[in-house]
Amino acid sequence: MDVTTQRPAAGDRFIDFELPDHNGNRRKLSELVGGDPGILQFYRGFWCPKDQAFFRGLVRLQDQVEVAYTRMISVSVDPPEVEAAFRAGIGARWTFLSDEPRELQSQLGLLETTDTVHRPYIPTVFTLYPDLRIHCAYNGYWFWGRPTNDELGADLRAISRAIRADWEAPTLPRRRGEGTA
Amino acid sequence: MTRPWYWFAFRTDSATDAFATAPAYGADGTPLGFVAAWRVGAGRKPAGALGIDARAIDPEGEPAWISLALAQTGTRVFFDDPAVCQAMRVVLAGRPTDVMSTLVLDPSTIGGAFTATHRSTSDDLADDPFARIFPRTLLRVDRGFVGLMPAPAGPGVQRYSGTPWPWDSW
Repeated sequence: MDVTTQRPAAGDRFIDFELPDHNGNRRKLSELVGGDPGILQFYRGFWCPKDQAFFRGLVRLQDQVEVAYTRMISVSVDPPEVEAAFRAGIGARWTFLSDEPRELQSQLGLLETTDTVHRPYIPTVFTLYPDLRIHCAYNGYWFWGRPTNDELGADLRAISRAIRADWEAPTLPRRRGEGTA
Repeated sequence: MTRPWYWFAFRTDSATDAFATAPAYGADGTPLGFVAAWRVGAGRKPAGALGIDARAIDPEGEPAWISLALAQTGTRVFFDDPAVCQAMRVVLAGRPTDVMSTLVLDPSTIGGAFTATHRSTSDDLADDPFARIFPRTLLRVDRGFVGLMPAPAGPGVQRYSGTPWPWDSW
């Protein structure tokens, strides 16, 4: 992936970046994704009404994600303490990462150039395989470009089917003589 | 490390066969017993031992406070109990401590929770959500027992193949 000129796209492998989380602890993307499918979301900030609306959907999805061996990560340019307050306010229980210096934003080409006040991330959502390959990328600059929870569910199903060797529930081994004429 | 978990016990006598052990004291300095950890597969399972995330134990670890919530003998609470799942959600929503591992009695049953901080006070452990489910003892241990774990990623409240929560992969 050319990290300076090309935005991450489906099929690329995401760079394994490291950022402080909402508590200020340094976290690597690969550590947070672990061995599971992941939703990686970049958002403008707590102040954006579109982000607030989208987060309400993610918080609803969280009730399913928490039992589905799946990870969620949200990234913004807000400082950790602002992310911590926003996270607590919306009831999110996943990890938020802070790119306050905007270095990752620059690497990924995800600066929203039309907002010269906040200089936020372009709202973007990626669904990831455990090895950080991108399954789908959603450009949410316009709100309807963002994935619905149903679309995220379909992506996570496809990824899980691809990575879970026991996706088809195992059956008991056939006993000797069983099923023969 | 071949397995992501060890055996753990809090008992009145010291354990000579444990790979990590330390005397445990109450907040007022009263000796309360010993904490001990054994490697899984290194002999028979010690009596009364529970599975704990291996990262919670470090024979070189710094002194720590431990909030030890233990199910009473004969009490059987499933990991899937809504109260247990809610305690996990509270852990994920709050500020992480240096160590947090549920304790595994058997593949389906929780034996308690081990939460610890290396700070000089136990203030971080004042609101242990697992203390709402199980009787809780606050312990102080010296150097040589408690490890350090990354904060859980969230939002998962399920375990991987019967390992202690919040282990983060298969």
